[in-house]
Amino acid sequence: MAAVDTDTPREAAAAQESIFRRNLQSFAGNRLALGSAIVVFLFILMAIFAPLVAPHDPAETDLFRRLQPPAWMPGGEWSYLLGCDALGRDILSRIIYGARISIFIGTAVVMVATTIGIIAGLAAGYMRGWVDTVISRVVDILLGFPYLIFAIGLMAMMGPGLINIILALVYKEWVIPCRVVRGETLATRELEYVEAARALGASGRHIMLREILPNILSPVIVVSTIRMAHVIILEASLSFLGLGVQPPTASWGAMVADGRAFILQAWWVSTFPGIAILLLVLAINVASQGLRDAFDPRFHE
Amino acid sequence: MNIQNDDTLLQVDGLRTVFDTRAGTVCAVDGVDVAVRRGECLGVVGESGSGKSVTFGSVMGLVRRPGRIDAGRILFDGRDLRALTPRQMRAIRGRDIAMTMQDALTALNPALTVGEQLAEVLEAHDEDLPTGRTARRRAIRDRSVEMLGLVGIPSPGTRLGQYPHEFSGGMRQRIMIAIALASKPKLLIADEPTTALDVTIQAQVLELISDIRAELGMSVVLITHDLGVVAEHCDRVMVMYAGQVVEQGPTADVICQPKHPYTKGLLGSIPRLSLRGERIHPIEGQVPELIDLPAQCRFYSRCRERGADCLKLIDMQDAGPARQARCIRVTPEAAQ
Amino acid sequence: MSLARFIERLLQLVPVLLGVSVIVFAMITLTPGDPVEIMIGDQVVTPEQEAAMRHDLGLDKPVHERFFVFLGNAVQGDFGDSFYHRRPVIDVIAERLPATIELSLAALLIALVTAIPLGVLAAIKKNSILDRLATVGSLLGVSLPGFWFGILLLMLFAVHMQILPVSGRIGYSSEIEPITHFLLIDTLLRGRPDAFLDALSHIILPAITLGLPMTAILMRVTRTSMLEVMRQDYVTFAEAKGLARHRILFRHALKNALIPTVSVAAIETGSLLGGNMIVETVFGWPGLGRLVVESIFVRNYPLVQAAVLFYAVTYVLLNFVADILYTVLNPRVKL
Repeated sequence: MAAVDTDTPREAAAAQESIFRRNLQSFAGNRLALGSAIVVFLFILMAIFAPLVAPHDPAETDLFRRLQPPAWMPGGEWSYLLGCDALGRDILSRIIYGARISIFIGTAVVMVATTIGIIAGLAAGYMRGWVDTVISRVVDILLGFPYLIFAIGLMAMMGPGLINIILALVYKEWVIPCRVVRGETLATRELEYVEAARALGASGRHIMLREILPNILSPVIVVSTIRMAHVIILEASLSFLGLGVQPPTASWGAMVADGRAFILQAWWVSTFPGIAILLLVLAINVASQGLRDAFDPRFHE
Repeated sequence: MNIQNDDTLLQVDGLRTVFDTRAGTVCAVDGVDVAVRRGECLGVVGESGSGKSVTFGSVMGLVRRPGRIDAGRILFDGRDLRALTPRQMRAIRGRDIAMTMQDALTALNPALTVGEQLAEVLEAHDEDLPTGRTARRRAIRDRSVEMLGLVGIPSPGTRLGQYPHEFSGGMRQRIMIAIALASKPKLLIADEPTTALDVTIQAQVLELISDIRAELGMSVVLITHDLGVVAEHCDRVMVMYAGQVVEQGPTADVICQPKHPYTKGLLGSIPRLSLRGERIHPIEGQVPELIDLPAQCRFYSRCRERGADCLKLIDMQDAGPARQARCIRVTPEAAQ
Repeated sequence: MSLARFIERLLQLVPVLLGVSVIVFAMITLTPGDPVEIMIGDQVVTPEQEAAMRHDLGLDKPVHERFFVFLGNAVQGDFGDSFYHRRPVIDVIAERLPATIELSLAALLIALVTAIPLGVLAAIKKNSILDRLATVGSLLGVSLPGFWFGILLLMLFAVHMQILPVSGRIGYSSEIEPITHFLLIDTLLRGRPDAFLDALSHIILPAITLGLPMTAILMRVTRTSMLEVMRQDYVTFAEAKGLARHRILFRHALKNALIPTVSVAAIETGSLLGGNMIVETVFGWPGLGRLVVESIFVRNYPLVQAAVLFYAVTYVLLNFVADILYTVLNPRVKL
């Protein structure tokens, strides 16, 4: 935790800023982490500029190209680099468009969950009393569900679809940032500059948002990036089971599921989308590990 | 000190122990000579970072990566310790040379009972234990109870089954001593045995060590930063600074007539009732970093008696009978 | 830990379990689709018959009454009848449960047996090739999507090399009368080593796939914990006592180092429950997980509800076990 033992909030904020900068530099020095961050960034670009990058329309079916092999194998074409699926759709293009789903859902879920988690965590940690009890109880109960079960249960209720997946994942996801924020808030609220602000008559809301929050953002950001990888795999798993976004929208998990029937004769249909998931998640994990190391105060001793 | 005779139990010549870190090679012990006679108590004084613990850790062969012994000869009871195989060294550790550490709470394994930790030492060195399983177990238990009783733990039989955290600080230190002495070692290295304890308990623990030393004829190395402890319990004292020995000699002589400016400073910074009303003179400055030290007196920057002639490597100078100090301003004098 | 404390801790579970039941009940109640309509399906019924069915199912009562009925029934194990199977839900679940438990235990075993030695070795030989490989491996382990990895394994071992079966729990020729319902045990009990090997060949790929993320996490935890422990004073002191290296390792270091490992293992076992659904689907394993997935698609809500409740309760109990284990193993933590 990067809480600083200083007197005024401004001093605290300034000290925090320089620590932040040093941590950022440390992160940049870690080449592996930096490289991974770049990979993630490339994926994001790929997702945003999908229509420009993808060679074909992901929904365009062509039954003559059914289960066409990748370009380097006999029967393949270079314009359909990674081959085609059972409906003759270009796998490469679908992977590129699939990035949109994964990244969008991953980002949306984590952002919404983190926001809710921050609000709930701050409230619980700062106001304590019955607010804390209620929120902590809810957290405990939600934690009583294994992740996938809860998501599946909700999806069963609500039916598939983009918004529904996001909601289903958010329901459980927010407890994680909430716990982190609550812990940090409990620790920070005892520091002197918070006392000072209180003595000056600042309102509870002001203290929470302007004094405490800026100082606890570091660990929250680190946790959120780590969770992003997890959420992406979860979304892919849900899509694999058929509970995710529905066709014809391309989703990596669904693509892997589609290819299952053909593992005997067309291994590429399942393999390449899976590689995409692996690459993105691996890159996020390495980058967030680097982030964690860079922001960990113990590392700098 | 290079006097080698049957009387000398431990002889260390030119010990150099370094640590290879990312920032460079840290020289924690640089050319240290130590001699401990049978039955004597040597006090080793110095602040943190002076190399006192590492010196004796090296003697025991406990220096691990990234540290290593770079140079020096270590003779114990006539044997060259550095030439021994790990297995041979293990046989010596805990049996002929034993060590206690500063904080007994962290030195004792929290997950094992006190009895188990005592039994280990006995089993490892197999001191005349009977061979049958039950007889052996009983012998170990009896011996353990005996040891705990020896160090003054009340109702030792019941307390064998308790965990370290169930004892007070003073008792834990005693337990550690019991473990160290279980095999009746020839040399006990007590690393800061009193630092973590309050004053009354300190006295008890030191008494204990003295008594046992008298009884077993054991040699003791007392590593401490407390000169008072040294004054009361040690025959000879060795002062270390920044990885080097800067003064050594009989305790009474060194304390009454310190020769090295650092020792003088140490003694001068002790508050004393007899000097009520006078100012204490602390030693200004800080210990230098132990990386890339310049070839000069290491105490130079904090020394009140420094001069231009101190900017070179300084050896130990003869300062009287059985006394030496690493300062060029030293003159041999007859002990008073 | 005293019995009183243990019971106290146990009682603290009650509000959580209650809350869990509320949520599960809410899930079902809020599910769109009228169960009665689903049950009727294409049949033609009179309004009176429909009302009667509704009354039979207790669906005409107010919500809070229905909750208590639900709770009361749940505690007795009565979850109604499965729409799809036309049998009590509890029976259907009980049928499929052993397969899931067997698979989960196999995965847990693989994870423990692989992760702990690897973690210890990686810590002892820090920064060696083994250590770096282990680190890479553990990173891969948490980044690989389970469903994809399973398919990959199938492609390699079942399709390409054809040394392992593609799906199912056991071949037809190895069917035997069950005793414990755990095939790996039953085949041995019945004296059929050939059937045992058959069952083994069926379980190995799914167990590896299911256990992979857990192995990765446990390896990391063990390594970190071991490194931490080896730096402790009591390890140095043990060395100073002249103890043999392996003794120090096993008796002093490992005992303390494994405490976090065991805690994490107990918690992560819960996540095996979720992973089950994926792995059982990929490998056609006849367990509870696959049953749940199928039931969702055919809108067999009583079964889904019961299964979710079952999973949640198991998970809460597992976390409880993890807590208790931690306090038992760590003598310094007084309860």
